[in-house]
Amino acid sequence: MSKAGHLNLNHLYKSFHVKDKTLSVLEDINLSINPGDFISIVGSSGCGKSTLLRLIVGLEEDYQGDLLLNGQPIVGTSLDRGIVFQEHRLSPWLIVEKNIGLGLVNSKISDAEKASLIREHIELVGLTGFETAYPHQLSGGMSQRVAIARALVNRPKVLLLDEPFGALDALTRSHLQQELQKIWEKEGITMILVTHDVEEAVFLGNRIVVMEPRPGRIKKVIDVDLPYPRNRNSLAFNHLREQVLAEFGEDAQGSDETNVALLEPGIDLWRFSW
Amino acid sequence: MTSLTDYAAKTSAERWAWFPYKEQLWRALRSDRALSLIFPIALIILWFAAVEHQWLPEQILPAPSLMLATASDVISTGELFYHTSISVQRVILGFLLGAFIGLVFGVFIGLSRLAEEYLYPTFKLFVQVPSLAWLPMLMMLVGLEEALKIILIAKSAFVPVAMNTFNGLRAVSNRYIEVAKVFNFNRYQLLRYVVFPSSFPPIWNGVRFGLTHAWLALVGVELLASTEGLGYLIVWGRQLFQMDLVFVAVVVVGTIGYLLDKLLNHIELKVLHWRRDSF
Amino acid sequence: MKILTAIPKPLRAWVLPVLLLITWSVYGHVADNLSPAYVSILSVFERAYLLLASNELQLALEGSLTRLIKGLAIGAFIGFVVGGLLGASRLLDKLFGPSFNTLKQISLFAWIPLMSIWFGMGDTGKVVFLAMAAFFPMVVNTYEGVRSVPRELLEVARVTRLSRWQVIRLIVLPSAVPSIFTGFYLSIIYAWLAGIGAEYFLSSSPGVGTLLIDAQEHFLMDQIIVGVTVIGLVGLALNASAGRLEKSLLNWRGKSTATY
Repeated sequence: MSKAGHLNLNHLYKSFHVKDKTLSVLEDINLSINPGDFISIVGSSGCGKSTLLRLIVGLEEDYQGDLLLNGQPIVGTSLDRGIVFQEHRLSPWLIVEKNIGLGLVNSKISDAEKASLIREHIELVGLTGFETAYPHQLSGGMSQRVAIARALVNRPKVLLLDEPFGALDALTRSHLQQELQKIWEKEGITMILVTHDVEEAVFLGNRIVVMEPRPGRIKKVIDVDLPYPRNRNSLAFNHLREQVLAEFGEDAQGSDETNVALLEPGIDLWRFSW
Repeated sequence: MTSLTDYAAKTSAERWAWFPYKEQLWRALRSDRALSLIFPIALIILWFAAVEHQWLPEQILPAPSLMLATASDVISTGELFYHTSISVQRVILGFLLGAFIGLVFGVFIGLSRLAEEYLYPTFKLFVQVPSLAWLPMLMMLVGLEEALKIILIAKSAFVPVAMNTFNGLRAVSNRYIEVAKVFNFNRYQLLRYVVFPSSFPPIWNGVRFGLTHAWLALVGVELLASTEGLGYLIVWGRQLFQMDLVFVAVVVVGTIGYLLDKLLNHIELKVLHWRRDSF
Repeated sequence: MKILTAIPKPLRAWVLPVLLLITWSVYGHVADNLSPAYVSILSVFERAYLLLASNELQLALEGSLTRLIKGLAIGAFIGFVVGGLLGASRLLDKLFGPSFNTLKQISLFAWIPLMSIWFGMGDTGKVVFLAMAAFFPMVVNTYEGVRSVPRELLEVARVTRLSRWQVIRLIVLPSAVPSIFTGFYLSIIYAWLAGIGAEYFLSSSPGVGTLLIDAQEHFLMDQIIVGVTVIGLVGLALNASAGRLEKSLLNWRGKSTATY
């Protein structure tokens, strides 16, 4: 069991500078996330939910306000916070075992411990038997499961998921939602999921954060009291789903996608300065 | 003796009953393989006809029989093997030299922004001059010995390898880099686990181009400035108006070129088996 | 290390060339037994002036470029037609594809002596050889372009009942243009390379390659340097114009397809 993290977002602001204009992406975000929570963030395109996630994981910096994990301000990435992207982003040249092992490259435990951790997590995501498979041999759902195992293998305090099942078909999606729920119950890690699928949000979360766009703000936080495992067909479930959907009724106008062309800093990370 | 009406009354299957392989033959004739042979066979028939009727003087179009005779002659005296092995040795030596330097250079300017700023513009200009254009200058500087050939071949291999290595390193997808960032990889780990593996396919492409260009340069150099090798054979045959010899040498040139590429293909399959399906 | 960062960015590209030039001129003044191949920078400029004044350089350029254009026009056009036919017709591909691939294997320069016997040592032989050099890349890339028209687009054409000619004109050709362009770009490169080789082997008429070979035979290193520089500049110009042409034709694509 990994120690869950307590996240605090106080008066968080984030803006991007495009050419001469300043684009405000997040405005006055206040949220307190308890250890072991499962937060579902829902919102339409352009409400900044992905940016919020990237701020928490440390891939975006330069924000105003407080972003605290267990009382410590978040600066850059760390093994404390893991993330699962919408694309699995597995290294095509590594087998499943080695892909998961990437999460442990920087951990200081022995090789034997690493091997046993990897084995545990392969079992956790239900991929026993596929340790030596290459990503191109796996289906989309299986690849995403490997990505989840990779994000969990170093016991982060917080797991972030950015529309992790968006690229999968409906059947796989619903199956993986159930698996994710089981993993969450078993591991007890704080999880923050970003999605535009309201049903997914209600199914998984114990709290739902509804965001509205331009600029991104929290519209409403809804507590979900339904018992686990969730029943998609129960009256209470559907009532809650309606409630959340209703929040979106007001801004039904189409979003004018402002394409923020972000600089790709990646290459400078590994280029030497000499 | 069956009558004609009896014969006509039989079905097609019955008529062919004495030849059990009809199905296979029919399938083979309609296969792609057979189709691909129609054109070459037609050409050969044309060739025989042209020689038979003397449509072209023998110096321009030798008789097939002459060609075969020359081929067997030059093989049995060991001459063909001798010249071929010289050419192959040269190309392998030059290629390895050029590819190695190309790799080192490509990695150097790929990894270091400073190196790129100082060296890439000059390199880009250098690339504009085709390899053969350096031949006269090199002839004056190093003479006509082995060094000339090796240097030119190495230069031909160097350019594509260096270019592709450099471009491959710069094109590493930001998506993989972000994953590495989340796992707190330091620079060395980034290079080892993300950058180099992910840029291997374009680098390998560069290597393949390098070999093709090396072979191209070899033939060119041997045509102009050599006393042995396949290129020399071609020139010699041409000077003696022995088209049969020229043909044979050209066929060997084509075969070796094909085999070299096949070799690299084989290596790629062994090492990069994850690539074909995922990239 | 610090010096390297001290120099301002725009100047950094010039450091290496300038250093090379300095080394070149210093060597001439300082070395004891000067290699006979050495020429001073000044003599290179003098030779360049001589060549320009005597019109030799212009004639050489004119010769090479004329042959290049002729060979390109013939070879690229035929290559385009053949590649298109092979790509469009499965049957033609099966009949002629393998033979073509076999011929393609033969290293380009190996054809020169054959060409010289069949078409003579003069301009015809050179142009035919250039056409050959332009032919092969054009076929391969046109073939690729035609073959990789997305099936989805073709299905749309069927549904909207376009005639065969319309399909070719409105869907196949535009979709294949990037590949065709890459093929043309490669044709130019190979034809230029082939042109120089052809001039070495079949020298007689004026050309930049002939200029180089003459210089080598008369031990004129300065002329060689002028020749090489001119060839490099032509290469640069060809690349630049190909790049600009590509931009205007293919601005809907975003990235460049031209690779070495």
